Amino acid sequence: MRKALLCLVLLLLVPALLVMAADKKKLVFWYPAGEITATSMPFRDGSNPWAAFEAANNCQVEVVAIDYDTMQQKVFTALAGGKAPDIAMIDFSWMGGFIKDGALAAIPDADAKAWMSSVSPETVAISDWGGGKMYGFSTWGVDAYALTWNKEMFKEAGLDPNVAPKYWADFRAYSKKTAVADSSGKLTRVGYAIRHLGQPHGIVDKWHWLLVGAGMQLNTDPFALKGGSSKINTADTRAGLQMAHDMVWVDKSTSLDFPDPRQCLLTKIASMQISELVSIQVRAPKEAPDLQWGFAPPPAMRAGVDPKVQVAAWNYSVFNQSKEKNLALKAVAWFNNQVNDYTQAKKYNSTPRYKANWASDPFVSAPNTKAFMDLLKYATTYPRSLALNGILDAVGAAVPKVLHNEAAVADALAEAETKANEAIAAVQ
Amino acid sequence: MPSILRTARANRWHYAYLFILPILALFGLFRIYPSIQTLAYSFFDINLVSKVFKPVGLKNFLLLARDNTFQKAVGNTVIFAVWIVVASTAIGLVLASLFTSKMRAAGLFKAVYFAPFITSTVAAAVVWTFLYNPRFGLFNSLLQLAGLPTRGWISSSKDALASIIIFSIWKTIGYNMIIFIAGLQNVPDSFHEAAIIDGAGGIRRFFSISIPLVAPTTIFVVMYNTILALKVFDQVFVLTAGGPADATTVVVLQIYKQAFENYRFGYAASMAFVLFVLVISITILQYRLSRRWETSF
Repeated sequence: MRKALLCLVLLLLVPALLVMAADKKKLVFWYPAGEITATSMPFRDGSNPWAAFEAANNCQVEVVAIDYDTMQQKVFTALAGGKAPDIAMIDFSWMGGFIKDGALAAIPDADAKAWMSSVSPETVAISDWGGGKMYGFSTWGVDAYALTWNKEMFKEAGLDPNVAPKYWADFRAYSKKTAVADSSGKLTRVGYAIRHLGQPHGIVDKWHWLLVGAGMQLNTDPFALKGGSSKINTADTRAGLQMAHDMVWVDKSTSLDFPDPRQCLLTKIASMQISELVSIQVRAPKEAPDLQWGFAPPPAMRAGVDPKVQVAAWNYSVFNQSKEKNLALKAVAWFNNQVNDYTQAKKYNSTPRYKANWASDPFVSAPNTKAFMDLLKYATTYPRSLALNGILDAVGAAVPKVLHNEAAVADALAEAETKANEAIAAVQ
Repeated sequence: MPSILRTARANRWHYAYLFILPILALFGLFRIYPSIQTLAYSFFDINLVSKVFKPVGLKNFLLLARDNTFQKAVGNTVIFAVWIVVASTAIGLVLASLFTSKMRAAGLFKAVYFAPFITSTVAAAVVWTFLYNPRFGLFNSLLQLAGLPTRGWISSSKDALASIIIFSIWKTIGYNMIIFIAGLQNVPDSFHEAAIIDGAGGIRRFFSISIPLVAPTTIFVVMYNTILALKVFDQVFVLTAGGPADATTVVVLQIYKQAFENYRFGYAASMAFVLFVLVISITILQYRLSRRWETSF
């Protein structure tokens, strides 16, 4: 009798528990694995930044790490198969392609308006997809591409450790002075660490300062989703890319044999590199606590020409395929609210997005805040073109060809311009 | 009743066809149907997210004819295939000859040479990316120890294709060796004994007896390795992803990139069809040449 009663209770209890569990909604969130972006730290350090949202909304956010080099393909494949995640961190350079295919959900107008009126100007610049329309919230720790250098290495080479090279000619000279080779002539330390392999968009990011600094226009109409044209093969861009080539093969102040530029700076095998400032800011305290480093705008082409600081960010975007789209939109709005922005930017030693947070400590009185604001005076962003994917692929293929002596500068840039314009024509 | 049907009934062919029907159905479903579908896709511009199929006629094939990167991929694939087939077949045959002779620890050596074949290609390629590292990799360390100049290996556009070929040869010689061992073991000992009596040395017997008599095995190994080499993808994707600067791009990698990085499924399908035609043509040519070679022995 007792056994029968126990079985009855279990028979009633188990389905009830299953029903209760099923009531809990689930959101799937994808982010790029590894050290690709410092802004994924909240998902890598063992904390659960979604905990408060989960508790308040009786839901569960499943956090999934995806390899960066194949993430764009995996997202697209998931979309094609109808199995897209609810939310994903999307690289800014991918967004045009996803928007073109109708994959990303637009942020509700009210949320977009509130965001645009509350955040700093560079965040507005990278959030606006035309007429105040947003397709995601950009992350804290905006990617501002700065020149970072090892002050001790500058001092060792007889250079002022607090002053960065201002123009291309100085930059090239600094690279030669700070490179170190062994007795056989093999570089043990590069003057300037370069990116020459891997994802084409990543390559364009790392060389944006040089190419756009030389006047390259990825799209002559930067806010048009369709139309415009690419101007890539100009005399100045050829001169810039030739300089990069000559730094490898003539000056031998840099090399194709060294790893990722950020890694090179942090492991002290490079004296200079140009990449996302936030990466060094967040990683240096843990990976190179004794590194004395400085940052400044990348070198400009010559006097009278402004340097170019590429500004971009990953975005928290929601997919139209999401079965819990409203909940997902609520989740990204919550994750990127002013309180979370302050908490995370402070926790990870980074920069916030909201104007009110910039006006608060520790950000307002941080020693580097003024230098960072000076950097942002020269901010440029990628064009909004739906063909951006194809344009960046074209340029990102040309740079390694030149650096590896696979093509002459003029030929590589001419080919890139043709392919970029074909990509633009394909989305008419 | 027609004679063929009478014969079939007498020989109970219908039972045979019934038994192979399931596998034929699966073959049709997973091989024939997708191939026909791929050919059909090559005449469309396809957006798999919005599910739009726009007919474009021969546009994809015309673009292919002007695509420098695809032409480079075809060139790299053919170079890769020639090296793999020649080197891994020759080395496999030599190793098989050594290990069918009565040498000590032959079993251990066979296992050592066969182990790479059964290792996952991706896992092995990941390990080799470290071996090939120009700064701290084992290969450059050994070159430095020998007083030789170091190489860029997979970081250098000049060395990258050769680096992938070396890896692929290492990966495939074990399988070829095992196949050739089986072939060599079918060569009657009496042929070798007669040759020894006639004063033929080991090398003479290898070229005059072993090679001609393992012709059918050689044909199989060459055709099998050719087909595999023309479809190479895994090691290229892991070691170099087709770089640096497209120096190691191959056809299947281009298909992958066009389909999954550029979202041009129709264009990728046209590349897949061209590869299919290339593989079939080379296989038929090899088969015809091999029949002549076989009959000459």
